[in-house]
Amino acid sequence: MTDNETKSSVRGDRDLANAQDIIVCEGVSKWFGDFQALNNVSATIKEQEVVVVLGPSGSGKSTWIRCINRLEQHQEGRIMVDGVELSNDLRNIEKVRSEVGMVFQMFNLFPHLTVRDNISLAPIWVRKKPRAEAEEQASSLLERVGIPEQADKFPGQLSGGQQQRVAIARALAMEPKIMLFDEPTSALDPEMIKEVLDVMKELALSGMTMMVVTHEMGFAKEVADKIMFMEGGQIVETGTPEHFFTNPTEERTKLFLSQIL
Amino acid sequence: MNSANSTSQDQFSSDSLTDVSKNELPPKVAALSPTEWLKANLFSNTFNSILTVISTAAILLIIRGLLSFIFNPLRQWSATATNMRLLMTQAYPEHQYARIWVSLGFLLFLTGISLAFWRAGRSVQLSQVGKRLLALGAFILLATLLAPFSNKATIIWLIIGIFIVGIGFLLKPSHEDKTVSSLTLLSGAFLLAILSLWVIPYGHHSYLSTRTPKILAEPGTVAMTTKLPWTIMFVVAMCSYFLGSFIREKIDETRSKAVLSATWLISPLFLLFLVLRDPDFDTGHLLSTDIPIFLFFSIVGSVLLLWLTRPDIGEKGRVISAAILFVGFATFLFQMLMIVRILTLVLAFFALAAPTFSGQKPARIRYTKVWIASMVILCWLITAINTPSTAKVPGDFFIGGFAITLMIFFFTMVLAFPLGVLLALARTSKFPIFRIISTTFIEFIRGVPLITILIFFSVMVPLFLPDGMDLTEIAAVTIAFIIFEAAYLAENVRGGLQSVTRGQHEAAEAVGMTNAQKTFFIVLPQALRVAIPPMVGQIIATFKETGLLAIIGIFDFLYIARSVIPGQTQYMGSTRENLLFVSLVYLVICFAMSKASQRVEKRVGLGER
Ligand SMILES: Nc1ncnc2c1ncn2[C@@H]1O[C@H](COP(=O)(O)OP(=O)(O)OP(=O)(O)O)[C@@H](O)[C@H]1O
Ligand SMILES: [Mg+2]
Repeated sequence: MTDNETKSSVRGDRDLANAQDIIVCEGVSKWFGDFQALNNVSATIKEQEVVVVLGPSGSGKSTWIRCINRLEQHQEGRIMVDGVELSNDLRNIEKVRSEVGMVFQMFNLFPHLTVRDNISLAPIWVRKKPRAEAEEQASSLLERVGIPEQADKFPGQLSGGQQQRVAIARALAMEPKIMLFDEPTSALDPEMIKEVLDVMKELALSGMTMMVVTHEMGFAKEVADKIMFMEGGQIVETGTPEHFFTNPTEERTKLFLSQIL
Repeated sequence: MNSANSTSQDQFSSDSLTDVSKNELPPKVAALSPTEWLKANLFSNTFNSILTVISTAAILLIIRGLLSFIFNPLRQWSATATNMRLLMTQAYPEHQYARIWVSLGFLLFLTGISLAFWRAGRSVQLSQVGKRLLALGAFILLATLLAPFSNKATIIWLIIGIFIVGIGFLLKPSHEDKTVSSLTLLSGAFLLAILSLWVIPYGHHSYLSTRTPKILAEPGTVAMTTKLPWTIMFVVAMCSYFLGSFIREKIDETRSKAVLSATWLISPLFLLFLVLRDPDFDTGHLLSTDIPIFLFFSIVGSVLLLWLTRPDIGEKGRVISAAILFVGFATFLFQMLMIVRILTLVLAFFALAAPTFSGQKPARIRYTKVWIASMVILCWLITAINTPSTAKVPGDFFIGGFAITLMIFFFTMVLAFPLGVLLALARTSKFPIFRIISTTFIEFIRGVPLITILIFFSVMVPLFLPDGMDLTEIAAVTIAFIIFEAAYLAENVRGGLQSVTRGQHEAAEAVGMTNAQKTFFIVLPQALRVAIPPMVGQIIATFKETGLLAIIGIFDFLYIARSVIPGQTQYMGSTRENLLFVSLVYLVICFAMSKASQRVEKRVGLGER
């Protein structure tokens, strides 16, 4: 079975047309001082959808994705995640964060904890799971990302690709409904990129709602349901990969693609 | 495969082997002969030669001066030797002196076991030991020749010097592989020191709590009440080390290390307030007040905390915790037992922290157990402190001398550390009010000399206290030390907090941790690791600063040496001898601490980053 077939078959399973909206942004704007990083961003992401966000450096991709679990605060507009509006209310933020997993460019594993503790810490203290259950879950997640034998090592003893896979397992341990990825492979050597992308593909096929900022065009073509192109803090163009890569409408998109491909 | 091929392969592999060995071993530096070494290092040119000659002369003069001071027949070293007990424990009653030995023995027991569990000590090459002994022997010989000794003394010291040089010569050529544990060497040294108590006439020992000294030993010997306990102490330490290495294989090591660390923290409290202070508990008061209070707080607190740690408690829990905190502060407005106020505040603290540690049943029960354990320790400690002591001692504290120095140091470290962490967290907190309070406090304390704070606390604070609250001078001074050190430790911890990257904060937030959980599980462990080296420096500084106690008139180590002993009729003006002894003790302890800290730093830094 080729990847394409897998994708289409899974696509067949997912009824995206009738799926619920899970992330809704309406006119989101954000300023850093005087500099406007997000300018009236509106978008809707449906359950089980895989959205890839592309755009040149400094276009506000990270800022937007970080607004969705409120690592950054937007100043105008509304963001609804799974029916909860992000506001200054602490309880909403904690609720949203425990339903949205995030994977960072620099992994950000906890260096003083073993891999197993990295994964099971939040389930134990945030989800209030019994320790034994959380550790069992950590083992099965490590199995899923392909490094079951590394459980007792410290992050500093792992390769970059392994660390990023642990970071994915750590996010998955909270059993999130949505996973956000901010350039998950940009800090990796080429030979490690594939192992991380494979894990992400598997995740996409399993029906996870994903929002991925990446420069991996191959991944975008193959896995994305929708591609959003950002520039200057705005979403310039949205479309399916076929549309986006073969027949973009906007001039700026064409320019970006000509530079990158 | 033909044979020619395989031989060439063999050659190839042997070649690469020699290559590897060439690469990995540093080229051997030919050892310099003594004259070559001298020439290279001391007399390489005229200017260096002059410097060498001048500094050698200066060093020799200083040594000679020091020796002729120490071995001057006018020196009253017997003042120090005779008053050893006074220096160590002040006038602790003689018939209760066994309590001191029991306490010391227990600490040594803990030391022995801990050394075994943490696998302390490293292996030292015998040839290195030989070199050190050679140097030491040579130094003794040189010093003997320089010192204004009587003929007999010169001969004795010469013999000792030659003996040590001889051992050095024997050990020096030993093979590189022959090593000995540094612990063995250390215990050997202690063994020699203790044996010497039985052999060498250090001076006759008396006990000087009253005006007429009681002679405890014949002139020229060491009192049995000194040498016997020390010998037992040595045996206890050795046995506990072997016991430790024996059981360490048999039990869960991480767990027993945790138990040991906790024992280290708690046992000084027990030793001080139960064993040494020997409180005269009043059964009636215990049954009518102390035990009911303890039971009330343990039971009510446990039920409350079991409820507050439920995962679904939500906003109600915070309101109730805040209410308890309010009640805790309100108790200070009414006439009330101090213990009730303190316990209410502690309960409020536990209640506020409850959501952080909430969870399923085992987690909640564990939290409640911690609460009950804290109650046991706190209630017992406060009761013991409030009970009069049977150790009847002149002055208003039951112990003095080196013991009080150690005691204040211990309390300072144990209490200043958490306070410093809290201050650092407050200073980096989001809430401006915490930041302002903490910054003001830290900058104020750091802007004032320690001695001012000490005088302020020992003289002024007791006057400011509300009616019905009194603070002994020792307690007041300890508090002064605690806040002073906390301010400095807070700055060290703040440095550590700043070294935790933004990514770590974000990762913790992204998995939904609350602020408290993020701080406790992610930020503090990393920050403290970074802060260890500066904190150890601060701890050593604190130990030296305990000398200031003497200035405000507390009967500490230095005060006894400087003012008490020179006031005794037989030992008028023996200040200098005693001061030299005190400096030596401080020097040895600080040196040991800094050596130990270097090794701790190495261990902490390894592996995990
Ligand atoms: N904390 C901040 N303070 C000030 N300006 C910021 C901050 N974070 C981001 N910016 C600015 O906001 C703009 C958008 O940044 P963002 O990180 O979202 O870009 P990006 O699209 O993720 O770029 P890249 O592909 O390089 O990661 C940039 O111009 C950046 O300089
Ligand atoms: Mg970015």
